[in-house]
Amino acid sequence: MKGIVKGLGVTLKSMVEKKITYAYPDVPLEMPDRFRGIQHFDPEKCIVCNQCARICPTDCITLTGKPNPDPEKKGKVIDTYDINFEICILCDLCTEVCPTEAIVMTNNFELSTYSRDELFKNLQWLNDNNTNIRKENNSAMDKGGAK
Amino acid sequence: MIRTEELLLNVGPQHPSTHGVFRIIVKLDGEVITEATPVMGYLHRGTEKLAENLTYTQIIPYTDRMDYVAAMTNNYVICNAVETLMGLEIPERAQYLRLIVMELQRIASHMLWWGTYLLDIGAMSPFLFAFRDREMIINMFNELCGARLTYNYMRIGGVKWDAPDGWIDKVRDYVKYMKEKLNQYHDLVTGNEIFLARIKGIGAYDGKTAIEYGLSGANLRGSGVQWDLRKNQPYCIYDRFEFDVPVGKNGDCFDRYNVRMEEIRQSLRILEQAVEQVPEGETMGKVPRVLRVPEGEAYSRIESPRGEIGCYIVSRGKDKPFRLKFRRPSFVNLQILPKLLVGENMTNLITILGGIDIVVGEVDC
Amino acid sequence: MESLLQETLSLKTFAFFLLIGVTTLAIVLGFVTYAIYFERKVIGWMQFRIGPNRVGPLGLLQSVADVTKLLMKEDTIPNEADRTLFKLAPVIVYVPAFSVLATFPFTETLYLADLNIGLLYYIAISGISTLGIVVGGWASNNKYSLLGGMRSAAQMISYEVPLVTSVVGVILLTGSLNLHDIVTNQGDNIWEWNLFPQIIGFIVFTIAAISELNRTPFDLPEAESELVAGYHVEYSGFRFAFFMLAEYVYVFAIASLATILFLGGWYPPLAMLDFIPGIVWFLLKFTAIVFFLFWIRATLPRIRVDQLMGLGWRVLLPLALFNIFLTAIVEFVLR
Repeated sequence: MKGIVKGLGVTLKSMVEKKITYAYPDVPLEMPDRFRGIQHFDPEKCIVCNQCARICPTDCITLTGKPNPDPEKKGKVIDTYDINFEICILCDLCTEVCPTEAIVMTNNFELSTYSRDELFKNLQWLNDNNTNIRKENNSAMDKGGAK
Repeated sequence: MIRTEELLLNVGPQHPSTHGVFRIIVKLDGEVITEATPVMGYLHRGTEKLAENLTYTQIIPYTDRMDYVAAMTNNYVICNAVETLMGLEIPERAQYLRLIVMELQRIASHMLWWGTYLLDIGAMSPFLFAFRDREMIINMFNELCGARLTYNYMRIGGVKWDAPDGWIDKVRDYVKYMKEKLNQYHDLVTGNEIFLARIKGIGAYDGKTAIEYGLSGANLRGSGVQWDLRKNQPYCIYDRFEFDVPVGKNGDCFDRYNVRMEEIRQSLRILEQAVEQVPEGETMGKVPRVLRVPEGEAYSRIESPRGEIGCYIVSRGKDKPFRLKFRRPSFVNLQILPKLLVGENMTNLITILGGIDIVVGEVDC
Repeated sequence: MESLLQETLSLKTFAFFLLIGVTTLAIVLGFVTYAIYFERKVIGWMQFRIGPNRVGPLGLLQSVADVTKLLMKEDTIPNEADRTLFKLAPVIVYVPAFSVLATFPFTETLYLADLNIGLLYYIAISGISTLGIVVGGWASNNKYSLLGGMRSAAQMISYEVPLVTSVVGVILLTGSLNLHDIVTNQGDNIWEWNLFPQIIGFIVFTIAAISELNRTPFDLPEAESELVAGYHVEYSGFRFAFFMLAEYVYVFAIASLATILFLGGWYPPLAMLDFIPGIVWFLLKFTAIVFFLFWIRATLPRIRVDQLMGLGWRVLLPLALFNIFLTAIVEFVLR
């Protein structure tokens, strides 16, 4: 009986303890800066090096480049850039390898939709997803350190 | 004469106490089990086969999803295997960070087990007690590596992030906090007579059987075998810390329970020592730009919260493994289940299955 | 009321009875609504949660929303189920739960029927509900619900016995089966209640009552982690609501019964406090018991089925019998 009484005491005491419920979604959840949320993509910075598409463990990034419209400059500019959030696992590897920080993580994480098709995000959408961008994008590793 | 027949009962794959999509077909005589056949594979994703087409860095996020309750140890085992094969030097600070997150992970994992086990047994408050305190660990991990469950924190040769400012202090505070809360846990549950009657003497086996079945972790230690890879074959930097390996005596569910609860305390002890010693410095070792692992084979094994997790790599000198094999403790520990269940009451099925502590993601891999 | 019951049944008296019946039903439904709300709040607080707070102010309409949802759900009957019995089971469970309420005296004057075998009536009628559970479990044609139904039959029969024997002490003290008399035989002061002379009886009664209610730690018939939901696993919508309703009406009934039998009904704990109306005292004691049930539920794990039987037959029954002998001897010596 002693154990049961002890247990009852614990539950009775916890009645007045601080509640731990988050008021989400009434109050948005504050995620720490390093949080890996939906990527933001900046086409200006992209040099079409394809590293993100290659490192992606689930092959969810597809991108195409086109020749630079400015004939004076060399290299390519990004044409299309899609991330399939049906399979993206937000593992952070794409932002880790990006040499120009064209693709960075944000702290946004709300992805629920009524249709799977909507999870296929294109360049425009990813570019518009520009709130709560992660400040600290350079990790302890030097760029392209581990591939 | 009354005609009696055995009742074939399908427990799972959608059953609240099979912790995911695990299934057991039991033959019941009344409420007594005469035969039990575990059926698994509902969560099989072919991680090992997928890994053959992935570079080593890419495999790390996949290991997060094996034992999703203790992703840090999974991260470590693959990193450790590759590092052994490449002969990499890991910076001190990275070692300490790895150890801290692994021990925190062990606490988090055991707490999740504790909560859900009590939920299986029918008490619902412990679950929320455990989750309240586990949430703090998860939040710390979130601050450290940006995810709450699938951390992808370790890299070949180090860790991805250095600890943010004040993080180590948070761990220190947490250790203090948790030590106190652990007593509350014991007050709430451990002395409870109903709980003791439910798990004492249930699913008992001796150390010899445990070894024969290849059990590891608390399932092995519960039956009195002193075997903890952190002590017996120290990896990472465990040899620098003082801690005990709790063992049981009777090998029943209660001993396994005690071993796990005591392990939380020991992990807190390790953390207490570790946070005082964390050196400054690099968190990433000297790693070549492209990871080409030299030809050869390596097996690395560590003590995950569930037991001995191993990673066997066969490399042919490419940047991808030729063959990768995980020894998943949940899967191996599960082997003893049919033996334990025969002759038990239907209610004990839940007690025994919960006591083994499986994570279906790891069983099916 | 008393005189009305003695009259021959006319249309007028029938209409009056019907009105009273419907009013009681409404009160009971109101109790059930807020008992569920109260339970969820209390258990929530004990688990560092807030509890229901979304529907209505402070979540007060949560249960209403839940019941509305249940009413709107599709009424499913499994193909292989025994349809007649399947439909009948919730009725068999619910009707006795409601009928037992007739004999409870809530205050000196507020009662429905002053039956001189009130206690016997309660015990006899409430036993019928078990049948409903077994029938429901069997008719669903589901193995889990069958196991749940069988367990519940075993459990309820084994605990009915200590429950009945535990109140015999009270009957001996009072010399009556009439619930009204049982209360008036207790007094205005806490030491005059049956609680102290019948402390063994009270403990046995409490344990057996929780078991009769199928509540934690004795909720084996619906053990959700083993039998998924036990006997009502195949029920949905309104029929499921009836099972739940019956369960909470029994909470109402058992809490009232415990108040009447052991806690002095509407009497205040001290004679000087009798300026507070009796109904308040009754409700206070009643709420305390209901709270205790919820508190137990938030704390204890479930007992195993064989231990449950062992506890019932080997501990509670001998204790209850011992209590009867003790009471009888003391009564004999005192007289």
